[in-house]
Amino acid sequence: MLLPFIVIIPLLGAIISATVRKNTYPLQVIISVTACLELIIAIIATANVLINKSYFFDPFFSVDAFSAIILLVTATVSFAASFYSIGYLKEEVKKDIIGFHRVKEYFVLLHLFLGSMFLAIITVSPIVMWVAVEATTLSTAFLISFYSKLSSMEAAWKYLIVNSIGLLLGFLGTIVFLSPVLNLTEDKFVNWFTLNTHVSLLSPDLTKIAFIFILIGYGTKAGLAPMHTWLPDAHSKAPPPISALLSGALLNIAMMAILRFKIVTDAAVGNYFSQNLLIFFGVISIAIPAFIIIVQKNYKRLFAYSSIEHMGIMAIGFGFGGIGTFGALLHMIYHSLTKSVLFFSAGNIFLKYSSTRIANVKGVLSSMPTTGIVLLIGFLAIIGMPPFGIFITEFYILSSGITKFPLVVGLILILLILIFVGFLKHIVDIAFSQKEESMNKDEANIFTIFPAIFLLVLFIFTSLYLPQPLKSLIDTAVTLLNK
Amino acid sequence: MDHIAPQISILLAATIFVTAILLNFSGKISISVWLYVVQSATIAILLLSSVFDRFSILLLIAVISTILVKVIIAPTFFLSLIKKYHITSTTSTYLNTPLTLLVIAGLLFLTQADFFTPLISLAPQGHNLLFISIATILISLFLSINRKGAVSQMMGILSLENGIVAFALFSGLEQNAGLQLGITLNIFIWIVISTVFASMIYQKFGSLDVSTMKGLTE
Repeated sequence: MLLPFIVIIPLLGAIISATVRKNTYPLQVIISVTACLELIIAIIATANVLINKSYFFDPFFSVDAFSAIILLVTATVSFAASFYSIGYLKEEVKKDIIGFHRVKEYFVLLHLFLGSMFLAIITVSPIVMWVAVEATTLSTAFLISFYSKLSSMEAAWKYLIVNSIGLLLGFLGTIVFLSPVLNLTEDKFVNWFTLNTHVSLLSPDLTKIAFIFILIGYGTKAGLAPMHTWLPDAHSKAPPPISALLSGALLNIAMMAILRFKIVTDAAVGNYFSQNLLIFFGVISIAIPAFIIIVQKNYKRLFAYSSIEHMGIMAIGFGFGGIGTFGALLHMIYHSLTKSVLFFSAGNIFLKYSSTRIANVKGVLSSMPTTGIVLLIGFLAIIGMPPFGIFITEFYILSSGITKFPLVVGLILILLILIFVGFLKHIVDIAFSQKEESMNKDEANIFTIFPAIFLLVLFIFTSLYLPQPLKSLIDTAVTLLNK
Repeated sequence: MDHIAPQISILLAATIFVTAILLNFSGKISISVWLYVVQSATIAILLLSSVFDRFSILLLIAVISTILVKVIIAPTFFLSLIKKYHITSTTSTYLNTPLTLLVIAGLLFLTQADFFTPLISLAPQGHNLLFISIATILISLFLSINRKGAVSQMMGILSLENGIVAFALFSGLEQNAGLQLGITLNIFIWIVISTVFASMIYQKFGSLDVSTMKGLTE
């Protein structure tokens, strides 16, 4: 019964926020309350999935082990990003960068963005999922152009056009996938269950072409190269909490859409087809950032390219299958937590230095000790340093492919070393260099620190000890995905 | 599509296809908008015929909403944008006219490729209609890539959407009426947002030519 409320609550949040006048405090209260409620519902839904294998609200919404993971990650990142937004926007208001109306606009759009993401996760209909993913594009376009600068306008336009084209191709793929089962139900409302149980009706050739459209369509949204061109611009121009949500939540949802159709495709034509495609797009998605990260001059773009790389790693993990799928799912969780931490740190650095250029940011560890430490740990985690979880998941993924795809694994290892070197060079510049003497040693406010620490603690904890419920949830999801 | 004679179906499909081609060569932006109106009105006729095939009030509402959005609201938005900023000609293309023609010819040739054969199998008796729809999809995709103008890019995307709807109708893949309504609402919001963006682009850059945007060079 609770499930629809994870969509209703943010929608109500948007409506109530739109009616707020003059004072930002009610907006902060609304986002705090809704973020807490959404997280609670996500936890309850996940607990139900652990006990009963699924949690549903017939006939429209359902959560299985796979979507429960995405739901929990999305709600956790949303929770942190909502509180971070309060602190971040407070500082921008203090600096007269934005006023009340922009803050209101931000929170209304944030609620709509969260509602669309939750709808995409819990809906049973592939078409509704498409509508919800498209709605995330529409709600975030104005958030990317939030500062109305020339570059942010450009990034938002590029985002809108590239994603709209991509998603239309995804829509074409969706309707083709639904073609053999569309007339099985009287009201033509096809859900994942119907599609999966009538997979024998799908012609192999039609399935292949439909999956290509899906992979290109949702792959654009997931930031897979070479359809990734919008991502570094959008993620670097959006306000940091939105960048965290785009990287830590939205990319996962697009990947989830691809994987839902991968299950159907594998059942119809065998897993070799989707496997080869995912590995192909995965390798390109690691290769392109590997060369750009080294020469990157902007730390937000650096994190954005890192997101493309990690989506590539996930794609390869899902492509390899077996333990690779387990690694990719766990990688998804770790990447969401770590990347959000990095974007929150990027926000704090921007508040202090008023620049996103690496060359202009010196001595973060001495000028902002807490942010500096959080950033440093986040950096080490994202490049896959042991003992952090990403090292383990990359190990799982690569070891799952070493016997069947040794050349691919070798190539990925070389690319990961390049990325490691590139990141290390930048982190030394940002964290350890000498700060300017005029620079005070302080942090913005508690709301800009707490969310990053919260996610970092979660990440470190799950890196060192994977709780049994989470492990069994991932195991069940792996069974679903490797069917 | 049972209520439409095959000759009429071909005529409607051809109209959608020809408007997609003409959109690639239209010099005046207002002509582009009217071409889109013709294309959308043709889609509206196809949608109305689907109501005769399987009548329901919800489906009728969904179809009327689609007609309202595509044939009335979208052109009104575009025309008011054109009027507000006194935009007369469409901005240039990345490829010149002969090259554009060559690419379109290539795309038409591509529709005959083996890659698309499985799609044609969705409705073998109407294979010509599906070929035309696929060609419309490819040409519209090319339109949104080749044009430098923001409004032209929007037209390309909406024409692409029309091509997909035509494909779905000709292959008998009409969706549930409630879902159709959701899709139409989505398109409506997309039109509103993209029009607002186009307006903001004009105010910020003094032009709707997106090739003037060069702020993201890092």
